[in-house]
Amino acid sequence: MGKKRLSLILGIAVLVLLILLPFYGSRYTITTFTRIIYLAFLALSVGTLVRQGGMISLTQTAFFGAAGYIIGLLGVERGWVFPLPELIAILGVLLMAFILGLVVMRTHGTVFLMLTLALGQICWAFARQNTSLLHGWAGIRGFRPFTVLGIDFTNPNNYYWGALALLLLGLFVLWLITNSPFGLALNGIRESPKRMASLGYPVYWLRVILFVITALYACVGGIISVYATGIITPTTIQMSRTILILLMVILGGSRYFWGPVVGAVIAVWLDVLISQMTPRYNTVIGLIFVAVVVLAPNGIIGLLDDIRNGVKLPQLKRWWNSISAKQSRDSSV
Amino acid sequence: MATRYLILILNGLTQGALFFILGSGLTLTFGLMNVVNMSHGAFYLLSGYIAYSIVTSTGNWILAVLVGGGFMAVFGLLFERILLKRVRDGGALPQTLLTVALSMVIADLTLAIWGGTPLTLVVPRFLNPPIRLFGITYPGFRYLLMIVAVAIALVLYFLLYRTKFGIAVRASVDDRETVSALGVRNDVIYVSMFVLASFLAGIAGALGGSYLSLSPGEDSTILTYSLVVIIVGGMGSLGGAIVSAILLGQILSFGMAFAPQWSMFLVFVPMAIVLAVRPQGMFGKRV
Repeated sequence: MGKKRLSLILGIAVLVLLILLPFYGSRYTITTFTRIIYLAFLALSVGTLVRQGGMISLTQTAFFGAAGYIIGLLGVERGWVFPLPELIAILGVLLMAFILGLVVMRTHGTVFLMLTLALGQICWAFARQNTSLLHGWAGIRGFRPFTVLGIDFTNPNNYYWGALALLLLGLFVLWLITNSPFGLALNGIRESPKRMASLGYPVYWLRVILFVITALYACVGGIISVYATGIITPTTIQMSRTILILLMVILGGSRYFWGPVVGAVIAVWLDVLISQMTPRYNTVIGLIFVAVVVLAPNGIIGLLDDIRNGVKLPQLKRWWNSISAKQSRDSSV
Repeated sequence: MATRYLILILNGLTQGALFFILGSGLTLTFGLMNVVNMSHGAFYLLSGYIAYSIVTSTGNWILAVLVGGGFMAVFGLLFERILLKRVRDGGALPQTLLTVALSMVIADLTLAIWGGTPLTLVVPRFLNPPIRLFGITYPGFRYLLMIVAVAIALVLYFLLYRTKFGIAVRASVDDRETVSALGVRNDVIYVSMFVLASFLAGIAGALGGSYLSLSPGEDSTILTYSLVVIIVGGMGSLGGAIVSAILLGQILSFGMAFAPQWSMFLVFVPMAIVLAVRPQGMFGKRV
């Protein structure tokens, strides 16, 4: 019980600190935290697929970008006002995710991974190549936040609070989903799709629904992102972004509910630090990646969990062996 | 008008030849051995750059291709032995991350060494004579590329279906434990297939860099095309890789000519159709 209360107090403290951030943080800190929030949405999108469904999807960044492009085409270029472009963006991304989901969910494991990578790359290349509609490399710029219910979101503080509120809402909904019969069925599918199918669960459709739900998270992240940065270009959805998101998920701990969010906070600040220190940014990130995969396959939360549970080194090794054995069982299904 | 179509078809075949060399390596590791290799495109780019440096310093193009391939083979060997082997039993996720990380490092270091300007290898005149066939003049090097691809296909076919090694490979795909119990060393099979795939990526880099250009970002583009080839063709199927590489080459060639802004979209359509009908790809086995 003591452990639970401790994490509750810790959680409230972090939340209060986050809400009060504009009162003590610099302008730069606030924009960085806004960036953390929209990337956390994307990381939640990828992380939930891994945690709930055991699927590594590399298409989610495309949904993130698609939301931005739709708003750009309707809101910026045609001058439609909130909330119409945003709603159409959400509907558009859901439709896109449903259609792609119908295709990708027919595959499993490695093929799924490759297919989603190829889809993400095709979307990126398409955005880069198409100049008549999407303006190629130049992309669309000139997104301006707006005033809703008397709150002026051009103020970065208000924008940060709005984004934070959305993230908390998103996490709450995700928590509900995780603990719903739907979420439990998904866990069952991750462990043994065949057994779930023979129990009468519509495995394929449940997986498609999960794909659509996670796309919604990527879409919300994309909407927050375009108004925060004011621009959408093919670089928004390029592979390095997808990789950074994967790093977040792994860094936080892919088996934990809070993993993607914790990973997003750490990875974005790492990103800030490294890009200030060296021009060889990608080399450093890549090496961090290798270190995490080899040394802490369950991420920071996993590492903390082990320390708290007092895992000693030989035990750590045994635990690692059991994990790898379990994972290979999962992947062989 | 007919000559235009003929040229487009030949362009598509040239592209297809390159895609096959890349895709065959990937289908052997990814498809057959279930080793996730996201650094295939980075291997292509790195060997292309190395071959470029050799051509500019020695002028010997053939040497450059061989060194490019050989370097990647050694590199693949070291990478597999030192890092990839450690996470092989951990499933797809750690392998993905590790190879993705490797490709990031390679891409970044090639950018640091060779810069961002597109580079192209100079092919010697005797390997690239203008050849007049079917009433059109076409660069000889492109015919050479197609011949190399056919030769590689024949060698791989022979290796997989006519040798003891090939039998062991195909058997261990179906039942790793039994093959291992029969005295075949699985790790030897894994590492040799990985080295072979790296070698093919290396050769492809030198060949591709001789008529396309090498530039940052080319690695992920090439990886995408190779993935499409093996997904559409079917995991682990050489025949599938041939058919889908030719198909993809033609789609890109005609797409670039008639709908230059939509050719990537055109790549997606056949892929979606094939997967909707046959999730395992055209020639893949059902898993």
